[in-house]
Amino acid sequence: MHQLQSEVQASAQSAALGRAIVITSGKGGVGKTTTTANLGTALARRGAKVALVDADVGLRNLDIVMGLESRVKHHVLDVLEEKVAADEALVRDKHTATLYLLAAAQTREKEDVDTEKMRALVESLRERFDFVLIDCPAGIEKGFRNAVVGAREAIVVCTPEVSAVRDVDRVVGLLGNDFAPQLIINRVRPQLVKKGKMLSVDDVNAILRLPLLGVIADEPEVIVSTNKGEPLALRNDGPTAAAYHAIAARVAGEDVPAPTVEYKESFMTKLGALFGGKR
Amino acid sequence: MAVLRGKGLGLEIALGGRDFEEALAELQSKLDERPGFYTGTSATAALGRSGLNHDQLERMRGVLHVHGIALQGLTGGPHLEPLAAEAGLRFAALDDGGEELARRRALRPRHQVQLSDAARSLLADFAGARADIAERRKRGEASVRRAVAGQALRVAALPAQELPATLYHVGTLRGGQALEHLGNIVVVGDVNPGAELTASGDIVVFGALRGVAHAGAQGDASARVHALQLAPTQLRIATFIAVEAGDPRRAPVHPETACVQNDRIVIFPREKAPQ
Amino acid sequence: MSARTIVFTSGKGGVGKTTTTVNVGAALAKRGHRVVLVDADIGLRNLDLVLGLEKRIVFDLVEVVEGRCQLRQALIKDKRFESLSVLPAAQTRDKDAVTESQMAALVDDLAATCDYVLIDCPAGIEAGFRNAIAGAGEAIVVTTPEVSAIRDADRVIGKLGERRLPVRLVINRIRPEMVRTGDMLSVDDVCEILSAELLGIVPDDEEIIDTTNKGEPVVLNDVNRLRVIYDKIARRLEGELVPFTNLDSTGFFGRLLGALKAG
Repeated sequence: MHQLQSEVQASAQSAALGRAIVITSGKGGVGKTTTTANLGTALARRGAKVALVDADVGLRNLDIVMGLESRVKHHVLDVLEEKVAADEALVRDKHTATLYLLAAAQTREKEDVDTEKMRALVESLRERFDFVLIDCPAGIEKGFRNAVVGAREAIVVCTPEVSAVRDVDRVVGLLGNDFAPQLIINRVRPQLVKKGKMLSVDDVNAILRLPLLGVIADEPEVIVSTNKGEPLALRNDGPTAAAYHAIAARVAGEDVPAPTVEYKESFMTKLGALFGGKR
Repeated sequence: MAVLRGKGLGLEIALGGRDFEEALAELQSKLDERPGFYTGTSATAALGRSGLNHDQLERMRGVLHVHGIALQGLTGGPHLEPLAAEAGLRFAALDDGGEELARRRALRPRHQVQLSDAARSLLADFAGARADIAERRKRGEASVRRAVAGQALRVAALPAQELPATLYHVGTLRGGQALEHLGNIVVVGDVNPGAELTASGDIVVFGALRGVAHAGAQGDASARVHALQLAPTQLRIATFIAVEAGDPRRAPVHPETACVQNDRIVIFPREKAPQ
Repeated sequence: MSARTIVFTSGKGGVGKTTTTVNVGAALAKRGHRVVLVDADIGLRNLDLVLGLEKRIVFDLVEVVEGRCQLRQALIKDKRFESLSVLPAAQTRDKDAVTESQMAALVDDLAATCDYVLIDCPAGIEAGFRNAIAGAGEAIVVTTPEVSAIRDADRVIGKLGERRLPVRLVINRIRPEMVRTGDMLSVDDVCEILSAELLGIVPDDEEIIDTTNKGEPVVLNDVNRLRVIYDKIARRLEGELVPFTNLDSTGFFGRLLGALKAG
């Protein structure tokens, strides 16, 4: 009877554990960090308690993209090496109260991370947060393994380029069967797809064959927002914010209609309007 | 004989007739070669007539567990049944020579799934094959000739043969993954660009073959490659090597077979392939 | 005389290392030099894809290092250029398949046969990065004018300095219209932060994506303005003093945007 009770308790506890999701790709520069920041923001704005973890030791960027670099006092390695508790290292977001960041170290190396301790850290974060989003570095070396070790799910980010598709495919193969990876296709330029100068969503997913979480268009507003440290998901307007809010809804289990990207008027036409139509 | 083999939907650890420590070390190194590749698979340990004690069982389980493989059963002599029951494993009695087979195979030269020296030097001749492709390109010829439908074909009576062991893989092979096998390889799924199949026998892909496939890798030029969609990055049979000429985005719409004819690799629609 | 051995690195992924390596290599080959491109990104190889040579790979760098084939058997000659060859990486292996000294020895062997060995480095600063720089005598750091890329480039420049490798900078994907509106750092801003010698400034160009998908280096395209820019980078590498041009005089963007540099 006693054993049965503790079993019931254990399963009740694990039902309350948050979801640990690694955001990865293999290829660099596809938008992993931007996605982690925006998805985290969008989920937190829906009321969830979210912890963002930057696993890119030595090349940390998540704090910049969140606009929190000046508030970071301690980082992941400080916690793993038990110099501070996780609570002291977690930085609360400027804009959204239920969003926290655990920054990476800048002057250390990925080899310094003890993967078992990293796993334990993510597990302990799962006890307090609804979502733990882990920003994975590029590549498939130790940094990748550090990021993946605590996660239970994966979101892979890919751009419509052949090199990105190759790298993402490799990563999905390495992840194996345990992570139920879902796909975000980022930096799509619909006018180029239409002209046949860029891979389409179908081209990409013909190889990757993953459930599609979202498709995000390449917008100049993204660079502006990462430079300023204000994730676009803080806004309610604009195509990128909308895309991330839809992705957050899907991640939370809502049934949101299929992701599409609209073909908008071209850059040239826009400029024409700006300069009175003359070239 | 390889310690780790595909069997049905899972893996078989072949321990019958072997020294346990040696087999365990080989298993470890095979698994370390492809971290994460077997995660989520289940395995059966085949003991034949050999014994296994509790300590050895736990060590083996440990090695498998690290790689995400769950040990589900044992096969072998009836003396193993209590061990299996105690360990919560399924048990199937194998009363004849699982060990007999193992003993016969042990007499064959031991391969670590590597190419023989002869095949290696043949591989080295690929440089010549590449030069040949270059020459043909210069002359405007395609490197791969597609057979025109309607060619006359002979049907010869095939003698019954003992088929070599076949590695049967269910699931898509992603870029960076490779399967090597002495025997045939069957993949039920796609083979993505960046994935490689190397078989001494035939290769069958029940899906889209987009990676690199090398059949007859030990020099057997009668080996074949079959696929539901044959669109490989590169195709190799024995020492012949071919690259598809033409628009890479055009996908074939019916199953095809590649084989060697007149010293080049030729692709036929499946039903028209020569016997 | 031994070749110049140059590694193209960045820290941040996706800024254009491979595209830059390919186009600078192609520009140098067009100018008559014997060039070998080495893909050091074991497990995530892309150099072959960007050049459209993926179907011709028979042997790779790891097989050379392991002695399973000769170096000349692994090199793929690019037919579109007189003197450009590629040593592809392995796809089914990992970065621990080679050591730094093996890479250095390999680059030495290559350097005996040509004028330029250009090494395409993987993203990051882990073992793959250390392997890639092991054989190099010089480094080119590629960055985009974005805060994260610059921060990573800065870290990488520091590490290259530890190895006493001379560093020059290529700023990739500049969008003059965004610099003008203050939404993007200018060339001067970037150089000031990184304090490295500038080798080239490459504007963002839609065509690049299509050309890399198709495996056609932009250098082959006579119409594309980037061809001129990569040619200038090649000339600066040779030691020529080529000034950075104003975008003013080159058409559409020039009309709109005043004295913004590229070239």
